[in-house]
Amino acid sequence: MSQVASSGSTSFFSGKPLRFIAASILLVNGMFPALWILFTSLKTEAELTVKPITWLPHQPTLANYMQAFSDQPLHIFLFNSFMVALLSTCLTLLVSVLAAYALARLNLKYRGLILSLIIAVSTFPLVTLLVPLFEIMRALNLLNSWIALILPYTVLSLPVCTLMLVSFFEGIPRDLENAAMIDGCTRMGALFKVVVPLCAPGVFTAGILAFVNAWDEFLLALSFNSNPALRTLPVGIQLYQGEFAFPWPVISAALVVGIVPVAILIVIFQERVVSGLTAGGIKG
Amino acid sequence: MTTQTIATSDRIEKAQPGWVKLLDMSDRALAVLLLTPAAVLLTLIIVYPVLRLGYTSFFSLSLTSGLPAEFVGFENYQLMFTDPVFWETTWNTVLITLITVPGALIVGMALALLANLPFGVQWPVRLSLLIPWALPLSFAGLIFAWFFHSEYGVVNDVLARFGIEGVIWFNSPNLAFAAICLTIIWKTSSFMALIILAGLQTIPRSLYEAADVDGAGRIRQFFEITLPLLKPAIVVALIFRTITALQTFDIPYMMTGGGPGTSTSTLAMYIHQNTVSFLDLGYGSALAVVMFALSMCVTAVYLRIIRTKE
Repeated sequence: MSQVASSGSTSFFSGKPLRFIAASILLVNGMFPALWILFTSLKTEAELTVKPITWLPHQPTLANYMQAFSDQPLHIFLFNSFMVALLSTCLTLLVSVLAAYALARLNLKYRGLILSLIIAVSTFPLVTLLVPLFEIMRALNLLNSWIALILPYTVLSLPVCTLMLVSFFEGIPRDLENAAMIDGCTRMGALFKVVVPLCAPGVFTAGILAFVNAWDEFLLALSFNSNPALRTLPVGIQLYQGEFAFPWPVISAALVVGIVPVAILIVIFQERVVSGLTAGGIKG
Repeated sequence: MTTQTIATSDRIEKAQPGWVKLLDMSDRALAVLLLTPAAVLLTLIIVYPVLRLGYTSFFSLSLTSGLPAEFVGFENYQLMFTDPVFWETTWNTVLITLITVPGALIVGMALALLANLPFGVQWPVRLSLLIPWALPLSFAGLIFAWFFHSEYGVVNDVLARFGIEGVIWFNSPNLAFAAICLTIIWKTSSFMALIILAGLQTIPRSLYEAADVDGAGRIRQFFEITLPLLKPAIVVALIFRTITALQTFDIPYMMTGGGPGTSTSTLAMYIHQNTVSFLDLGYGSALAVVMFALSMCVTAVYLRIIRTKE
């Protein structure tokens, strides 16, 4: 931020041409694929099969969006994705807040060992557990259910969220908590009334990461929930492709619908997400 | 003063029903209680499945045949070593890792150095690094399949503008493989860039000023100040990237479905195929054990690096 102040400029493209080129490269690299799919989703089928291809849509239409919702139950895919991601995020946060508190505040004998274990789990390839998880979910009759995904997704984000929360909790002065306990709070009371509210930004950041992880997951959702009524968005999108035809405009529209919710999250909370993502990298 | 004391004692009164006393226990008991939910979840979703994975890999268990599981010893593993598709998919996985991990590092480093320039406004840059990270892998696969479309894809269109005749990307094993690797590098380099950028921003400006005074050029500064100071952040990011690269599934599944033939299929795709399509759980387990071993090697290196640092 001090750099901004020293350069004394407010315009994004101000300064040397190098900066302009750098900004262009970054923006094109980051935004072009998403923009391209947005353009495709606004084109008519006829415009799409013109050669040479058009870049900007000549006659923008929303027909593909209507078709995306009418051809397949896109709203159901969205709802499934949203609920699975939301519920697994809540469960992840609850479990990791408790575990992180124990690791940050109670003088555990095996703290180092437990932390190493958590780091090891954070690198765990969930793909390798496809067979046993498939067997377990099948035996428990949980194939084609939200729970079949919520439990693995919780474990997917649990290590990262716990490690992140441990470092947040360690940043809260113990005195505040002790004061609350002198005031008659129990330890748990102090945790939920003092520590968690003070760490709200950290807990929230951990929540966003858990949500995005769950929203993105594909392999387990593909393997466990094949029933169209229970498909999540990434798996549901496959249903648009016919035997021979690949209706790109409609698929693009469905993709845009799937990108928007996470894009909104990212736009609003970008600074928080960046700090959450990089906390692990710098610390480790 | 008095009112405060009363209020406090009031709260103590209120805070003392039976269940609260239960929670007001020794540190050790509390720790066990707090760690239990995590331990239960990890046991159910990781520990038990890992044991079950090893166990099942010694059985012939096919759900399509309807026969009960039969102990076959190392037969699944023997089968694996003579299975050309196993070797092909494993080789593809290793190749993807060897290409896309350094690829993402180089591209990510370049993006981070660009993003570290003093822009007047930071958010467009930050957003352009976050969007590829937040985009689901499966979506990236579909989007880039459309990019590389032989007739109406933007890649061939751009090539045509430079007078290069477009190619049918997904008909040739090598071109399809290249398209997949490019997509993975695009998708993963922005996360690398974010990590490296955060590292760059912690390097004190004074170091570069001192180097300027000493007459060290930009390139020398990069290799003697920037890189060594970034090393810890890069190592962690590389290890995570390596482990996820070994699990590559979404992008090739969406772009080529493993084709042509099985030329772009990965080990994860082969495990998925054996488990979900063929319902051959015994063989699927044996394949997963191999991937598990591969990734544990990388994790071991990681833990070792962290230990030595502490």
